Amino acid sequence: MRTLVFIVLVYVVFQIIFLSSQCARLSSNDDNLIEQTCKQTPNYSLCISSLKSDPKSATADVTGLALIMVNVLNTTATRTLIHINSFLHHIPSPKIKKALLSCANMYYNGIITADVPVSIEALTKGDPKFADDSTLDAAKEATLCEEGFSGNSPLTVDNTNVNNVARVTEAIVKLLL
Amino acid sequence: METNPSPTATSHYEHSSYYCPLPDHSSQPSPRRPLKGFAVIFASMIFLMSLVTLIIIQSPEPASLEKPEKDPPLSTKPSSFYNISTPEVPRGVAEGVSAKSNPSLSGNHGVSYNWTNAMFSWQRTAYHFQPQKNWMNDPDGPLYHMGWYHLFYQYNPYSAVWGNITWGHAVSRDLIHWLYLPFAMVPDQWYDANGVWTGSATILPDGKIVMLYTGDTVDAVQVQNLAYPANLSDPLLLDWVKYPKNPVLIPPIGIAIDKFRDPTTAWLGPDGKWRVTIGSKVNGAGVSLVYTTTNFTTFDLLDNYLHEVPGTGMWECVDFYPVAINGSTGLDTSVNGPGIKHLLKASLDDTKVDVYALGTYFANNDTWAPDNLAEDVGLGLKYDYGRYYASKTFYDPKLERRVLWGWINETDTEGDDLAKGWSSVQTIPRTVLFDNKTGTNILQWPVEEVESLRLNSTDFEGVVVKPGSVVELNIGTATQLDIFADFEIESLGLEETNEANGGCRGGAVDRSSLGPFGLLVIADETLSELTPIYFRPANTSAGGLKTYFCADERRSTKANDVFNQVYGSQVPVLDDEKFSMRVLVDHSIVESFAQGGRTVITSRVYPTEAIYGAARLFLFNNATRVNVKATLKIWQLNSAFIRPFPLDQIDTVKPLQPF
Repeated sequence: MRTLVFIVLVYVVFQIIFLSSQCARLSSNDDNLIEQTCKQTPNYSLCISSLKSDPKSATADVTGLALIMVNVLNTTATRTLIHINSFLHHIPSPKIKKALLSCANMYYNGIITADVPVSIEALTKGDPKFADDSTLDAAKEATLCEEGFSGNSPLTVDNTNVNNVARVTEAIVKLLL
Repeated sequence: METNPSPTATSHYEHSSYYCPLPDHSSQPSPRRPLKGFAVIFASMIFLMSLVTLIIIQSPEPASLEKPEKDPPLSTKPSSFYNISTPEVPRGVAEGVSAKSNPSLSGNHGVSYNWTNAMFSWQRTAYHFQPQKNWMNDPDGPLYHMGWYHLFYQYNPYSAVWGNITWGHAVSRDLIHWLYLPFAMVPDQWYDANGVWTGSATILPDGKIVMLYTGDTVDAVQVQNLAYPANLSDPLLLDWVKYPKNPVLIPPIGIAIDKFRDPTTAWLGPDGKWRVTIGSKVNGAGVSLVYTTTNFTTFDLLDNYLHEVPGTGMWECVDFYPVAINGSTGLDTSVNGPGIKHLLKASLDDTKVDVYALGTYFANNDTWAPDNLAEDVGLGLKYDYGRYYASKTFYDPKLERRVLWGWINETDTEGDDLAKGWSSVQTIPRTVLFDNKTGTNILQWPVEEVESLRLNSTDFEGVVVKPGSVVELNIGTATQLDIFADFEIESLGLEETNEANGGCRGGAVDRSSLGPFGLLVIADETLSELTPIYFRPANTSAGGLKTYFCADERRSTKANDVFNQVYGSQVPVLDDEKFSMRVLVDHSIVESFAQGGRTVITSRVYPTEAIYGAARLFLFNNATRVNVKATLKIWQLNSAFIRPFPLDQIDTVKPLQPF
């Protein structure tokens, strides 16, 4: 009996060792896809941190990773819109106000209402080129918003973030074409 | 993942314990037995857990449909259409089309443009096909039936961006005056619930119409479906029936479920069976799958591709048709024999351009080979060097023509499209003929029916334009025009150096000895906004000229939220030919044809000032060493008054006689 227990325990130990090596391989497989994908984007660290912030990225395919990035784009754009609103409440100068309103339009009508939904639609329905166009459009909207301040932009960090996220998203979408 | 004790464990458990208690239930007799039993049970559970984990790791990822195709990571991708680059700083100062007229250099640094309703309204075209509102993309199933030309098109009924794709429908007697009809097909079946995508019509010898189209299923799988008119004796083909046993084709082994779309018009092979080709992508190569069928409900996939070109990516909207080498007439899709070449075309998903090559179709084994491997599909010629995609031809039996449709997307932002409520137009349909003078190109030309829009014309004979100058052409309003222009260059006796021809890249301000010269369309009086359409020839070291034909959109508008760049390509100009162009101007779209249609550029322009009565037309010459002599005939064009078909009056529409 003791021998049996001993054998079983040894077996269990082997299983545990084997299991952990399997677990390691499991996680590195998904990490591998995320890393491989992010290497093909213009901003590797942003790509990695954005994707890993969503637990679904562990088991997502490339389309899934692209959708996660579109979600990050949406969140970043929404945050920017909130900042724009708060700046508007601080009674800015007419020139800044004009640029802020213009930005609000670009972020709301451009990125949040058009680019994000079209990208999701295109990715989920299997015609990614429309997501390609839309993510580039989003990058452009952020760039235009920034240019509208002629150097005195209160939104530089926001616009840069959105631009970078959009370009990373587009690079992932291009892998699906 | 549950860990239930297997029968083995239970039976194991039952053998080792007399009391049949639950594992965590301690009992009185001999402490050693429960402990041993517990240890065994615990070990068995660990064993089972590891077994189950092992099985789950080893099994393939659960998926509703297999995705056998996995692209290897690509180290470089062809640059996308949206390769946004800043324009090169123009060198030197020139009159006329000068760097000074570039708004981005004048200090007004890109405040996003506040579009007015007047500006947006002006952008709507007068005689190009577009729906009354919302988004359109690929032209579908063009055909001729009982005296009417039919156009179907990808349409979003709900928004001015892509989505919810439905088949719009319109009819015309003359390919110009279109009347909107109700939708032909909506995404109401499981096999097209995510989109009634692109398709083509085949007219059978007995007159029946067969429509094959791609459906995006509820699970986003791309399948091919069959549809046909509910009533073939209805000239308007209002109602369509979807074959009850759709889909007729699903992605075959080795083809990804999202890389299988846009079936072509079918053609007859020597064995009496029909062939259809569908584009796809395999290991980075664009491929053209071939199916044979006798009934359009069951198909056989051939082992070979019609053709493939490595590195060109997904082939969308494949088109395949014969052209007569003597270049005199269009041909039905099934025609084959001596004196015929076949043109293979694809829309490249990666770069959003339409590419084609001319070659030979081997009907005995259903393969095609290009005349020139270096100019294979995707490596050589484009249908159109501007904003142009998803084109499709059909054979018009009425006038024996091969007619080409092309989708022209907007180049402003999607936000602008939502604001103005619409997006995209179709080109004026073009005839396609083999260019037997060069032997390498096709000739595209607006269908002759566009001439029915002509109102009045103005002629200009031998207008001399000196180097660095601009000449206004006083023709009245300049927003709806059909312009024919011939140019000759006259040496000024100055020494001409041999320069490398930089092509179109530098734009209209990139001056050289012999060019650029041409037209400024949709330009305002002060030239703050202008769109040069021009030739840029240069002497080659071998003697003779190498000429580029270009459209420079970079100063087409002061608005900075428009994607504008320089488009164009080399155009063959034969020794006995003048530089000739034909330009169709229609508000926000300009279609430019060089040398009878050898090279074509479609442009989208969104001016803020050069609109309505403020739009003008000019000649310009930015060459440094030659005069340019221009002869022009300019027609004012009427609107096509594209509107809904008066269906309430349908009983009074007399049966139509074929022409």
